[in-house]
Amino acid sequence: MRLLKLAFQSILALVVISLIAFTIITKMPSDPVHIAIHLWNLPADDATILRLRSEWGLEGSLGRRYLHWLTGFVQGDWGRSFRTGEAVFDEFMTRLPISLLLGFSGLILAFIFAVPLGFFSALRPNGIADRLCVFLSVIVQTIPGFLLGLILLWWLGASLRLLRPFANDASAFVLPIIIMALHSLAFFSRIYRHDMIEASRRPYFYTALAKGLSRRQALLSHTHHSALYALVAAIRSQAGWVIGSTATMEVLFNLPGISQFLVQSIGARDQNVLQAYVMVVALWMLLMNFCVHSAMMMLEPRLKAR
Amino acid sequence: MRFFNLWRQICSIFILLYIGLSAPVAAQEPIRVGSNFLASGLDPSSLDPTKGSNGWALVSYGVGENLYTIDKEGKLQPELASAATRNDDLNWTITLKPDRFFADGTPVTAAALASGFANTMEKTPVASSTGGMLSFEALDALNLRVTTQKPVPLIQALFAEWPMIAYKLTDEGEAIYTGPYKVVDFKADSHLELAANEYFDGAQNRSPVIIRRFADAQAMALAYQAGELDLAFRLPFEIAPRLSADPDLIIKSFPVAYQYMAFINTTLAPFDDVRLRQAIDSAINRAELIAMLGGGDVATGAFAPYFSFSAREPRPTDLARAEALLDAAGWLKGADGVRTKDGQKLQLLIATYNASDLIAMLPLLRAQLARVGIEAQTQVFENVPQISATEGINIVVLAQNTAPTGDPAFVMDSMFRTGAALNHAHYASAEFDAIIDKFATSGDVEERAQIARQAQEKLFEDVPVSFLVSPVWYVGLSPRLKNYQPWGSDYHILRADIGEK
Repeated sequence: MRLLKLAFQSILALVVISLIAFTIITKMPSDPVHIAIHLWNLPADDATILRLRSEWGLEGSLGRRYLHWLTGFVQGDWGRSFRTGEAVFDEFMTRLPISLLLGFSGLILAFIFAVPLGFFSALRPNGIADRLCVFLSVIVQTIPGFLLGLILLWWLGASLRLLRPFANDASAFVLPIIIMALHSLAFFSRIYRHDMIEASRRPYFYTALAKGLSRRQALLSHTHHSALYALVAAIRSQAGWVIGSTATMEVLFNLPGISQFLVQSIGARDQNVLQAYVMVVALWMLLMNFCVHSAMMMLEPRLKAR
Repeated sequence: MRFFNLWRQICSIFILLYIGLSAPVAAQEPIRVGSNFLASGLDPSSLDPTKGSNGWALVSYGVGENLYTIDKEGKLQPELASAATRNDDLNWTITLKPDRFFADGTPVTAAALASGFANTMEKTPVASSTGGMLSFEALDALNLRVTTQKPVPLIQALFAEWPMIAYKLTDEGEAIYTGPYKVVDFKADSHLELAANEYFDGAQNRSPVIIRRFADAQAMALAYQAGELDLAFRLPFEIAPRLSADPDLIIKSFPVAYQYMAFINTTLAPFDDVRLRQAIDSAINRAELIAMLGGGDVATGAFAPYFSFSAREPRPTDLARAEALLDAAGWLKGADGVRTKDGQKLQLLIATYNASDLIAMLPLLRAQLARVGIEAQTQVFENVPQISATEGINIVVLAQNTAPTGDPAFVMDSMFRTGAALNHAHYASAEFDAIIDKFATSGDVEERAQIARQAQEKLFEDVPVSFLVSPVWYVGLSPRLKNYQPWGSDYHILRADIGEK
């Protein structure tokens, strides 16, 4: 019953998001037909305008067009890109693995490294690990991802040539994934450390120390679980950030993911692509929400009873 | 503890993966090209030449050819054709060069090309803009009769237009081209892989090519610096000088047919007064613009100086003349340096679109106009249609290829004729229209050049546009392509003489 309710809420949210997005996208200034006429040097006559409007499904009322789009969307027909002429669904299916690889890899790497970094920070506050943690947080919070990417590209790729960020193979993903991971790592490690320190002030922690456990053992045995729980909860908020960051990395490193496709489509007012992107992002957020929720229930079974 | 053991194992996997992924790939290296434009094909398997601007990209990347083309001096030259003979007002006979082959090894014949051109006329509206609907009939293997709907005095220029790419259609509807390269793989907005067309002369000397589209020019420049590109086409002007200083990098600049122009709205008061437009034209210091852009020439008129029909004299700067014209029009300088008339300040709005070099010119233009007492505001739009749809803009700064086919008629007709679709200045002059009407009756290249110069003189007088800069573009080359000589703007990026040796 609970699952059904969640599914119903998710579908309702998707429908509302799609309607709002469709309205905004179709009302954006600049007509895609006029942009295409200018870009492709087409004759700006009525016949061309009418032909393109009809070909791209831009005729009819907003409501009718929305229903037509919605019907197609649920059947896997996401329309065709005005700009490339290719099926948007196929295009997204080709590009989505690249975006997901970037997003998931960044999050997973950050998660993996956040635990030891956060742990050693909590073990010795103001120690080397803690200072590194603070330094990383300050760096990623003050330098935008795009600028950090440019600097690392120039330094590691162009100047020292230690990496091949534009190679036509998988090594092109190394630097963007590291940059994405760094931001989340700083955030996650602070969360993990903070929760451990908080837990270490509780009476049960002192009891553990009194029983003869070292601080390291006590932290691992009695605070790790709750800190991990806080860490998993933090993934939810990072999931939104990852979308924007993926877009930045795809443009900067010339990776053909969905965000790069979006950026190229905005200028052409490629409405089907913009709409599909909004829906994919909404689905991503719902999926991440579901995954995080499930993980939290696994870590804290008492949640199920509530 | 279990978690930390798991963590160690995952770390090891990532380290191994990194080492594996970073290992250099040993394979026969193709020429790696970076560019910011790539065909927008509908069908990746066929790269349909009738869709979008595919015809343009296919010719530019050496896959397709035209019957006629322009050479590095901007002159019309036969490509697949050897001659064009006018039979009467609407009929031409095109004679093809013998011993030319499509990429599937079949000979280029009049019948094969006729089927391709007929397909283009049916599906590409822009193909009929110069001569109306064209029909084609193969007279024999090498002679093609072309019938136009309206008289075309210089059909060679029509067949140099990018939509008129030459191809044949297979029974399955696939287009087969004749250029030095053939398409191996294509992904819109991502990459285009080419191999040498073995039926084109010199195929054995031609390497495969991978063209990657870069959405961001700065990223392309970094890829070039990182040694990932053999040819970075059109580097940003602001970083080209810095790259030129690096002895390991080969940066070349070349003049392009894209002209930077400032269209002045002739219907918007007070600039409907020709004296004010002339004052603006005189106040603009093109040498300063060029210094800021790091290269280029002072514009002589509507065309790049290398075209035979361009005007000869660089457009002058004369502040004293500008001040005198404004004084004569009753706009007098106040204490704040801004001119006023009847209590109204002399103000204008300059707009351009999202192009870094044009945007960079705006503050300078503003400062130059301020010198003669004109207060200018600037605004950057996302695209040209947005500018066209906005009211109250006095000056639109644009870049336009003014002679893509090596003929001057196109730009005059589409940008300055009364009521023309791209007439951003809303210029209306019966006298000017009468001058360019002569293009319709003259097929002689020198005569057409004279008409073009006459038309430009009229534009200098009426100033619906101020011609600013004939720019240069920059390319970055690896040592492998050090002999590559760029020309032809973005219409001829890859040619048979890529210059690899």
